[in-house]
Amino acid sequence: MKKLCILFLLCAAQLCAVTPLLAATYTPDNLPIPYLQDKTQYVSNPDGILSQETVDSLNLWLGQMETAHGVQTVLAVVERIQGGEAYDFCMELGRKYGIGRKDQNSGLIILLSTGDRVYYILTGRGLEGTLPDAICKRIENNQMLPALREGDWDEAMLATVRAITKYVDGDDSLVGLADFDNEDDTAALIAFILCMLLGLGLIGFGVWYDNYKKSYCPSCKQHKMKKVSGYTTTNRRLGLRSHHDTYKCSHCFFVKELHWDEDLNSGSGSAAAGGALGGSFFGRGGGGSFGGSFGGGSFGGGGAGGRF
Amino acid sequence: MKKSSIYLIIAAVVVLCGFYGCNTYNGLVSQDENVSRAWADVEAQYQRRADLIPNLVNTVKGYAAHESETLQAVVEARTKATQVTVDPTNLTPEKLAEYQAAQGEVSQALGRLLAITENYPDLKANQQFSELQAQLEGTENRIAESRRLFNEAAQKYNVSVRSFPANLFANMFGFSTKGNFKAEAGAEKAPEVQF
Repeated sequence: MKKLCILFLLCAAQLCAVTPLLAATYTPDNLPIPYLQDKTQYVSNPDGILSQETVDSLNLWLGQMETAHGVQTVLAVVERIQGGEAYDFCMELGRKYGIGRKDQNSGLIILLSTGDRVYYILTGRGLEGTLPDAICKRIENNQMLPALREGDWDEAMLATVRAITKYVDGDDSLVGLADFDNEDDTAALIAFILCMLLGLGLIGFGVWYDNYKKSYCPSCKQHKMKKVSGYTTTNRRLGLRSHHDTYKCSHCFFVKELHWDEDLNSGSGSAAAGGALGGSFFGRGGGGSFGGSFGGGSFGGGGAGGRF
Repeated sequence: MKKSSIYLIIAAVVVLCGFYGCNTYNGLVSQDENVSRAWADVEAQYQRRADLIPNLVNTVKGYAAHESETLQAVVEARTKATQVTVDPTNLTPEKLAEYQAAQGEVSQALGRLLAITENYPDLKANQQFSELQAQLEGTENRIAESRRLFNEAAQKYNVSVRSFPANLFANMFGFSTKGNFKAEAGAEKAPEVQF
């Protein structure tokens, strides 16, 4: 009995390990979105149904569409979706990620599930005028369906995106990426410059205040002391540099010795911290140009789909 | 304790209550506005469906003239439904139920019409009909989505109106709870298919 149990458990473990490789059933939650890691990747092709050339072409066209018209697309081709309802899947996906720019709600989701034999083109609220339901249906009937019936998934998607591009290109009311990002970039640049100026100002004030303090004459209570001579000694073992400066007052000729230690480690430490800060700032900017982010567009249920 | 300091404390309490009341009132107003906006969207989507119906009926008539009974039922349900309107300031549960019932009849009549179109292959192959059907499906989806958003807004508003102590102010200023859409009666029943 015990052996049987172990055998059963092993079989179950095997099944669990193998099943996702055979045919994963995708939900809006577990569908990979490559766009988030690389903003030139609009196509989610986790089962490898589309060829690499097709994916590259689609990414290129969809990238041009986003640059020129701000239409943010997710195109997913999978074997199976949970529940088999394309509309529900697309809506859930749109709601989860907020695909499309918020100001013009120009999100677009194209889904094909080859195992469930369903497809859908879901348009964001702002795209319903450019791609009305009837036009989505026409594109599906004339461009997508003939290829789907022959099982030519590559051609189905290529023809669909080609047709959609034509409609989107014909709509001048959609604003391209350049007009959005310029504002963002300018604001970021101004903020960056202001931060830099503030930082430099603080450093400058610090240096000035330090000198002002050192120039104080204890005898005549005036800030007329000037450094006349000085030498430093360095103790590497303790990491200290000792400064021995001689100040002389130009007003009453009072002479004072100033002795202060500079901690070599903390000095380099603060420089390192500054470097890390700068690095993280630039790193953030750099990260933005690699991974994409969705704008928070909303979907009202426009679009069309069907079965084949 | 001096009398004047007691007056001072009372005055402070009154002022604080006043601030709280204003805050609550403004919050309720903005949520009320949200519900009204969501309701306007619901009505717009139902109107969109009503606008599609004449076109659909005419298209089907060309292919299935002798289904006049079904076609007539759709037109009648539509006329009846367009007469039921709800004032967004008076979204009581009763009014909403009435509205939903009238629109539900349109849905049922449309469902029967679309079911009989299955018997006409020529009609199904017609590009115009296919696109009309897609528009109708898209509109039904929009209706469902706008109803969902309306229910969310109404629920949020109702919770605010009924929870203590906001309910004291709500009663004072006449904010009453709003109705929301119930799951369609018969929606859980699969449609009947006849061969």
